[in-house]
Amino acid sequence: MKVRITENLDIDLPRETWCCHACGHELTSARAAYKTGCVVAEVPLAEAHPPLVEGQAYSFTPDADFCRLLEFYCPGCGTLIENEYLPPGHPITHDIELDIDALKARHGVAG
Amino acid sequence: MSIKYGRDTEVVHRLRPEPVTAREQAAQAAVADLDFEIFQHKMQMIALEGKETTMKLGASTAMRWGDVAFGVYTAQGDLAICATGIYHHAVLSQLPVKYLVKHLKDDPSVGVRNGDSFFYNDPFYGGVHNADMGLCVPVIVDGELVCFIGAAVHTGEAGGSEPGGMVNGAKSRYDEGLLVPPIKVGENFTLKEDLLAMLATMTRDPRTMILDLKARLAAARIAERRVRDLIADKGVAFFVGALRKVLTVTGAAARRKVAALNDGVYRQPRFLDTVGPESQLLKINLAVEKKGERITLVLDGSSPLLPDRPLNTYFQGIIGLAMVYFCGWLFHDLPANNGLLEAIDWRFPEDSFVNAKGDVPVSYAPATQVAFTQGMFMAGARMTYATDPSRAVGAWYTGFAVTVFAGLNQWGEPMADITPEINATGAGGRPGRDGVDCAGAFFATMSDCGDVESTESDRPFLYLFRNFFDNSYGHGKHRGGSGVGFGLKVHGVPWVVLGGMGFGSHFPATLGIFGGRAAPPAFVQTVHGSNAGTLLRDADPRLPNSMGALYGRGTPEEGQRGYGNLAAPPSPFSEGDTYYVPVTGGAGYGDPLQRDPAAVVRDLRAGRCTVQAARDVYRVVVDPHTLHLDEAATEAARTQARQDRLRRAKPYAAFEREWERQSPPAAILRYYGAFPDPAAPATGQDRAA
Repeated sequence: MKVRITENLDIDLPRETWCCHACGHELTSARAAYKTGCVVAEVPLAEAHPPLVEGQAYSFTPDADFCRLLEFYCPGCGTLIENEYLPPGHPITHDIELDIDALKARHGVAG
Repeated sequence: MSIKYGRDTEVVHRLRPEPVTAREQAAQAAVADLDFEIFQHKMQMIALEGKETTMKLGASTAMRWGDVAFGVYTAQGDLAICATGIYHHAVLSQLPVKYLVKHLKDDPSVGVRNGDSFFYNDPFYGGVHNADMGLCVPVIVDGELVCFIGAAVHTGEAGGSEPGGMVNGAKSRYDEGLLVPPIKVGENFTLKEDLLAMLATMTRDPRTMILDLKARLAAARIAERRVRDLIADKGVAFFVGALRKVLTVTGAAARRKVAALNDGVYRQPRFLDTVGPESQLLKINLAVEKKGERITLVLDGSSPLLPDRPLNTYFQGIIGLAMVYFCGWLFHDLPANNGLLEAIDWRFPEDSFVNAKGDVPVSYAPATQVAFTQGMFMAGARMTYATDPSRAVGAWYTGFAVTVFAGLNQWGEPMADITPEINATGAGGRPGRDGVDCAGAFFATMSDCGDVESTESDRPFLYLFRNFFDNSYGHGKHRGGSGVGFGLKVHGVPWVVLGGMGFGSHFPATLGIFGGRAAPPAFVQTVHGSNAGTLLRDADPRLPNSMGALYGRGTPEEGQRGYGNLAAPPSPFSEGDTYYVPVTGGAGYGDPLQRDPAAVVRDLRAGRCTVQAARDVYRVVVDPHTLHLDEAATEAARTQARQDRLRRAKPYAAFEREWERQSPPAAILRYYGAFPDPAAPATGQDRAA
């Protein structure tokens, strides 16, 4: 039995795994951060937010001293599960930490 | 130490409803359900009339365009009925009233009588910043204080060392201007002229200051008349009981709604890129802990207190801005009042800029607070999607991009205020739908940006353009709503002072959700000694008519051109100088490669999407001449893009090892605290050092 958690993520409750909603690929344990089951890339800022002003500090592209863009993909299908804008080197956020036992109880799945 | 002549640190913690009095308990038990429904409707209409009246009579930009909260408070000061889109005032505006009840009501030198009116703007009680000013009046029937009625509104000038109420360069609260705890400004239905003269003298825009104050009072008096009619009809006991019952049922309903969400911890660190006068990195470390019927907001690990920079916020301001998310989104179908906080707890670190203490400046607190609120939107989207996807929305534009101005207007009158385009930002993408273009301000959802002509009528500006900015939103499966770009020319005066308030010129202010992209960073372009007036006179067709055109095809405008942060201390601009500001769009939602190609084509035709974004972000292939969609080529391009992603990416553990070797330059971490965890004890060996 799978339950939808976000636009791109399901949890398989009996198996206690995070799954890609698009392709069903099992990412990692539902008790771990789903991002650890993704593949990760740093996307060049000028690619994600192209500059509209040439040769200036201000250009509509984020400042790489302050900010980088990480993308977390499903290893099975390449769907973008989530992204994160972080200062360079800042630890990646464990953004969803569900109480899996409570979730299973809510959905009547044996523990 | 006596608090008699200092700030009261106890009363600001009383954000939740006061304990029920015996009088309230007995009275609310006697209120029948049908009568209660009718009461709530009538009271909401009274409050709405108060809000509309305040708007119609006021003078400041924010008051005219709807940055107004109007409500009815219990005799203990809880705000039971509130008409507003600026939901922070649904909890914050009660604090001055509770201060009044605690300190002034029974003080023989002040007291509370029919016909009195009280004014206040100290952000320690109002929670946000001192440009938010309030006024309330008591309603006493047969000798019993039954309620207060009041309005809280942003008046765009508060007398600080910079105009506009948000002081980039403030080093202590004494640089921030007017700081008034509740004071009695009127007795016997008459305002005291000596006090009005003092308030007017202490601010740059006396006309606006006094008109705004009188607008609040006039609206309160009309509402008082309605309330007295209702009490005459239903009796004092019914009124007292029903008012209290609104808070009681709200709290119970909020707890039920929270119980329906999945238990867990939802995290969203937020990063600010300014401390006012300098570009610096700050961190708000937000964790939303949901268990059973309660949500706890935890901000441990946020950057330390800023001794001499104005981004500090009082904790109560953070809770106030949490209410913007709670009232407007999570509890959107419940009354907006502090009863909602019966389901909310909070934990703040002691030494942090999100929990200001002492004399530190706070006039830029709105920036910190809205950055926090966006974290609420993002954590809230993760918390709610499983049980109610309609609540899982991307953030609206968050970086303010407010233009501040001061001087004499074209009629020779002193003025100081802000521009209204903050009320025309884009909404975030959401499940199944794009964000609304130029939706408004997420923290003032009933506000409007007004007509250009209205602004031009008493501000010394000529708008060169104000319309959609096609590069201003976050891309995604459902894109953010487009923001607005505008250009101003100083017009009709020899000079005026212009500056800016906002953040997100280096680190995007508005981040996407579920893979959606951020809205791009925003910045200001200025041209001193501009020839724009000559180009206008000659109807030069090359003169840009939108922000997209300004940055897309260039401009013939000549002069001393500069680019700078949204946060900019005001400086003089001469007649003819120009000023360009993007007030941008909402966050993207979901994987851009999942966007319906037909929606991309629709945006291309409407000018909401650039050709480059369609090609490079959405991987949609169209005929460049007809814009007809090539479905097969699009599918192939998207398949290729997914394969490219997998080729570029690394397994998490391998990526993390390399990633965490980096750090920002030490030069931008002066106020951050230890990197990456500001709460970690300083070791002298921080990676950035």
